[in-house]
Amino acid sequence: MPRAARNPEATQFGFAHVGDAGEKTQRVGHVFQRVAPRYDVMNDVMSGGWHRVWKNIFVDVVAPRAGENVLDVAGGTGDIAKRLLKKTGGAINLTLADLSPEMLSVGKRRMADAGYWNKVTWVQADAAALPFDDACFDVITIAFGLRNVTRIDDALAEFYRCLRTGGRFFCMEFSPQVAAPLAKPYALYRDHIIPRLGAVVAHDRAAYQYLAESIQKFPAPHALGARLQAAGFAHTRADPLMGGVVYIHRAWKG
Amino acid sequence: MNTGGMPLVNPHMLVLLVCPLTRGAVVYDAERHELISPQAGLAYPVREGVPIMLVEEARRTSEGEF
Repeated sequence: MPRAARNPEATQFGFAHVGDAGEKTQRVGHVFQRVAPRYDVMNDVMSGGWHRVWKNIFVDVVAPRAGENVLDVAGGTGDIAKRLLKKTGGAINLTLADLSPEMLSVGKRRMADAGYWNKVTWVQADAAALPFDDACFDVITIAFGLRNVTRIDDALAEFYRCLRTGGRFFCMEFSPQVAAPLAKPYALYRDHIIPRLGAVVAHDRAAYQYLAESIQKFPAPHALGARLQAAGFAHTRADPLMGGVVYIHRAWKG
Repeated sequence: MNTGGMPLVNPHMLVLLVCPLTRGAVVYDAERHELISPQAGLAYPVREGVPIMLVEEARRTSEGEF
């Protein structure tokens, strides 16, 4: 990475500048505390159900193998965890980490309903200071989570540390760059419709205003790739879904 | 979801978990439902089977607790 500052997002909350990293973490924590009960409904409403398709594609790309140790970071309500387990018939050792206790509560309830609760090891943890030993995972995933992490470069370094040599990292995230025909209508939708949907469906306009802003502040795919390489990863690659609304990033610990 | 008030600590988890501050081993205290990091002098709570591995949430252990 060029000599850019590390963790530039640590003092950004959407478009707002905050005093320090602690304040950012606290404000993001409040967002998820508030939206947790309606998070899944809102995902359906905002994406017109498309998030389910994206997540299915993501887990197909991850392609976990039986017996692997898999960590899903910012796994919240268990959407990715459920799919990873389903794909492998429950034959992976899955650990789910999230910083938000409210999101974990919702996830535990939902996974219990799906019959998967005891298939998951739940941990409340910060992506930038993971409580896991070096080289203990074969696969680490984070879907729609990295954007909300306070110290992104520290988190990438932690993912690298916790993967074994040959381990795979996968991240699915919105992108600030969308291909031309979709760019304008998408920007309109993201910046004007999503906050209104948040107000109506989740009764929280501010939380979804943050969502829209945080998408625009997230690094572009090539920039994230450079930061993954700076963290030590090799073979970084980013593939767009839906004209670049969402990207699947992958990287390998060589 | 009811775990019968018993915190379920997955044995698989205990193998993987380390102290996020020192990356040293943690020891499970079944009586207090805590994961103790002797190196850091911190005890991480386990609530409803979920270890809270955050320094801000940890209890500072008193000297000679180990």
